[in-house]
Amino acid sequence: MDVSDILASHAAKHQAVTVEKETPIIVDAGFLTVTDPNPIEEETYNSNLEEHLQSLARDGVQTLLAKLFSLPTTSSPDGPLAQLPPPTTQLPRAKPLPKPKPLTKWEQFAKAKGIQKTKREKKVWDEERQEWVNRWGKDGKNKQLEEQWATEVKLNADADHDPRKAARDARKARVAKNEKQRLGNVARAEQAAEARGARKNEIDRNLAQSRISTASMGKFDKKLEGEKKLRGIKRKFEPNEKSVKDEAKASLALLSRMDSDAKKMRKNPTSEESVLNVRKAVRFASKGEGGVALGRKSTGKPGKTGKRK
Amino acid sequence: MLRVVKPKNARSKRALEAREPKEIEDARTAIFVKGTHAGEVVNNVMKDLMALKRPDAISFAKKNVIHPFEATDAASGSSAAQSFEFWSAKNDASLFAFGHSTKKRPNGLTFVRMYDGKVLDMVEVGIEKFVSMNDIKSPKSTPGHKPLMHFASELFETHPRLMQLKSILMSFFNGEEIESIYLTGIEHVISVSCAPAPATLNTASTSEDTTSLPKVHIRAYTTKLLSSGTRIPRVELVDMGPSIDLVLRRHAEPDAAMLKHALKRPKLKKTDIEKGLGKKRKNMEVDEMGDLRGRVHVGKQDLHKLQTRKMKGLKGGAFDAEDSEDAPTKRRKTS
Repeated sequence: MDVSDILASHAAKHQAVTVEKETPIIVDAGFLTVTDPNPIEEETYNSNLEEHLQSLARDGVQTLLAKLFSLPTTSSPDGPLAQLPPPTTQLPRAKPLPKPKPLTKWEQFAKAKGIQKTKREKKVWDEERQEWVNRWGKDGKNKQLEEQWATEVKLNADADHDPRKAARDARKARVAKNEKQRLGNVARAEQAAEARGARKNEIDRNLAQSRISTASMGKFDKKLEGEKKLRGIKRKFEPNEKSVKDEAKASLALLSRMDSDAKKMRKNPTSEESVLNVRKAVRFASKGEGGVALGRKSTGKPGKTGKRK
Repeated sequence: MLRVVKPKNARSKRALEAREPKEIEDARTAIFVKGTHAGEVVNNVMKDLMALKRPDAISFAKKNVIHPFEATDAASGSSAAQSFEFWSAKNDASLFAFGHSTKKRPNGLTFVRMYDGKVLDMVEVGIEKFVSMNDIKSPKSTPGHKPLMHFASELFETHPRLMQLKSILMSFFNGEEIESIYLTGIEHVISVSCAPAPATLNTASTSEDTTSLPKVHIRAYTTKLLSSGTRIPRVELVDMGPSIDLVLRRHAEPDAAMLKHALKRPKLKKTDIEKGLGKKRKNMEVDEMGDLRGRVHVGKQDLHKLQTRKMKGLKGGAFDAEDSEDAPTKRRKTS
């Protein structure tokens, strides 16, 4: 039996779906993109542009489809779905990566204990009514106890015991407890975020401090690439014209601050004492020798220098 | 800036949640907006690009006094970047096609890409030749179907300007990561190719001298899959339009720090690593039949521990000392 015909036809078929290029075509199946890194041939480009572009595109698309059709598939109601590999090209994202949410107290506990989360259906089966009812909310199962037409009451119950009110109060308490826990989780998450912000502020402050801590106050330091200009504190001035009330208030505030500061008071004594500058007077009287020498002179006792004479 | 809204009901809460950053992002929405003057050609180009980009496209009807490559505008006192940021935040869009035509730069189209509500990079192209989709009488693709993309020229791999153009066009038409695709739903291909690269072209520079950069041809074709007798079909292309010939003009490079942030990938999940993503899969390949084939490497076997037939004569015991002396010589003989 001669099979050369069959082989030849098979080879022809295979040839039609394969593309031979000098440099292999780069396929990024994840983004359905194909890049042909071969240089453009000038001859074919100049002779017939449209035909040249179309044949280039056909070769590329054929390679891409060959890759796509050889991917593993899964079946779906509409037909087979080709499972795409992750893309190889790096494209910038449109938005930053989502920040991880802080765990709630329960989630932390569950994680530590290795408790798996089980999905709780929103509807539960009601045996009496023979239908699915909401677990909570409108006609919820959690309100059943307070809405049923007859409730068992124990013999020793108080005279004013209202089973409906008791059930309702219990339900309301559960809701309140959950809300309290939720708020606690929110507060804890906020605190954690704040702590992170505080740390960042501290680092920024330390960095700014160290940048002006050289002999030239950072003027002749080597600048790093992408380093931002250090911003100082801008001076702010009060407006020239302002209401008398405000001015009086500001002045009084200033005065009270001056009064209160004991250290400053010691340095700059009050006006009545300052008529005589004691330190200056002593220096003048002792001819620059100081208070001790002046005291000695006034009592008439000879000093160390007198002995030697 | 836009005020931060706190959702008042469940519906608006859902709408705001849909805008929050996601690990795997949706397709980027593009806004088509006009400058002070656009002209017929640019208008038609934008219309056709919008037809390709639908349904993730928004068209702005009014003219806008903005100039993307100038820091601040004297007339309005605000920069173009501010306008883009505002529109981006309002419409949850991260791409712009800005059409403008001036005497100095006729028929210009600027592609703007945003990251985190800020302008990441921009590419300005000039339209040299344009044939509209409507002028080509052929079947068109269905809106919403994902296009294939084809880039042909070595410059798309080597020259920074064309690499940027490729990246922006990929973000524009195909930037969304998908897990799987319905293969018979592939309807059209957008092909981008260059004129032959002139010998004088310096691939290292990104200078503003754009005269030496080759022309770029954008074509769109519908695909026709013919049976080839094998599993892979043979593909034929039919011109669908639009066909646009472009020259590259000004551009703005992405800020390095911003780009680094934008290129961050999410951490791979444990299940993905188990599937083999992120790590090199060694010794495994899928053959032509689609079967997974593995190669198993067995280390060198230690034959000395091989249990052979037990014989009294071969046992140790009294001749232990002699045996240990003999052993190395025997081994030498066999090897």
